[in-house]
Amino acid sequence: MFKRKSQCQQLKGMLSPYIDGQLSPTEVSRIEGHIQGCDACRGELESLRATVNLLHRVPMVSPPRSFTIAEVVPKQRAVALGALRLATAVAVILLTFLFVGDALHLFDGGLIAERYIPQATPAADGVLDTGGKPAEGQGYVWPVRQTELALAGVVVTLAGATAILWQRKRRGKKALGAN
Amino acid sequence: MACLEKETLSGRICPMAEDELIQRSREGDVDCFNQLVERYQREVYNLSLRMLGNAQAAEDATQDAFIAAFKGISKFRGGSFRAWLFRIAANACRDQLRSLRRRPTTSLDALPLELELDRHTPSPEEYALSRELGEEIRRALSALPADQRLAVILRDILGLDYDEIAQATASSLGTVKSRISRGRARLRHHLEQYRELFP
Repeated sequence: MFKRKSQCQQLKGMLSPYIDGQLSPTEVSRIEGHIQGCDACRGELESLRATVNLLHRVPMVSPPRSFTIAEVVPKQRAVALGALRLATAVAVILLTFLFVGDALHLFDGGLIAERYIPQATPAADGVLDTGGKPAEGQGYVWPVRQTELALAGVVVTLAGATAILWQRKRRGKKALGAN
Repeated sequence: MACLEKETLSGRICPMAEDELIQRSREGDVDCFNQLVERYQREVYNLSLRMLGNAQAAEDATQDAFIAAFKGISKFRGGSFRAWLFRIAANACRDQLRSLRRRPTTSLDALPLELELDRHTPSPEEYALSRELGEEIRRALSALPADQRLAVILRDILGLDYDEIAQATASSLGTVKSRISRGRARLRHHLEQYRELFP
């Protein structure tokens, strides 16, 4: 069995739209018929009306300043910021690869160093004929440390430029409305 | 491109129609958009102020709303521009509320609410009662769930009709009726104990 709501409870939710004139003529006559004989609902309607009237007295405050927009953030800056972010990320990945490779001694003897070894030139003065292989101590040594330092410098520069552009973008967003 | 007011054949200066201002704003005309800002900034600021109860946060929300509106004006698909703007402002208020919750040192209860009085020169007693009642309204409003608070503010303080509120809150008419009804009922319940202060 469903418990039937009392008529008062059913009408309670209609009091607010009744005040705003949002009910159909049938609903209006239903409410008006009911409140004539129901002191509780009539009291509630009066109280609700008084609350609404009170809210109408909440004043409109003048804004403390104008919110007009001062300038448009240039799109080029956003593109430059994106490119810088990407370049910084690539440089960081390369630097990480170099550091890890260096730590694991990947570049000392095998992986990269071999490729940079110049062909021995038997005709050259003072060079021993080693059968096409470089003489001991004469192989080209890839300057890993210097590369790491240079790349670290590039990362710092790119990150700095990215940070500056990002700050300008943030300030620009504020300035857009700082009229 | 300057967005000047139109001069009519009779030589009278008349403000540009809203549709034209919107169209020119879509094309990137900042001056035209600023005319729209000047038309609506009072209402948007008051919506933010009553939603947040904090003057600084309301300023930030209003500014964010207009910047977002300018950036997104190409997405405006007609209908009530005011309702569309209020929708953006309501989102900006939600962001500000989240930000205020993260910064608990900034009080939500910062700005007193003073009611409008009938008489121009109220007695000190009337003034004190009005302030007390205003404070209770502010407290009762801030205790409402955000969706009910928004609906009640739009209806009873800013005077929007139900259709505009439905558009501003992206809700159905039934939902709007229900939110206003429940919000008012809660306010009535909260303010009932101060009934003797009612004007």
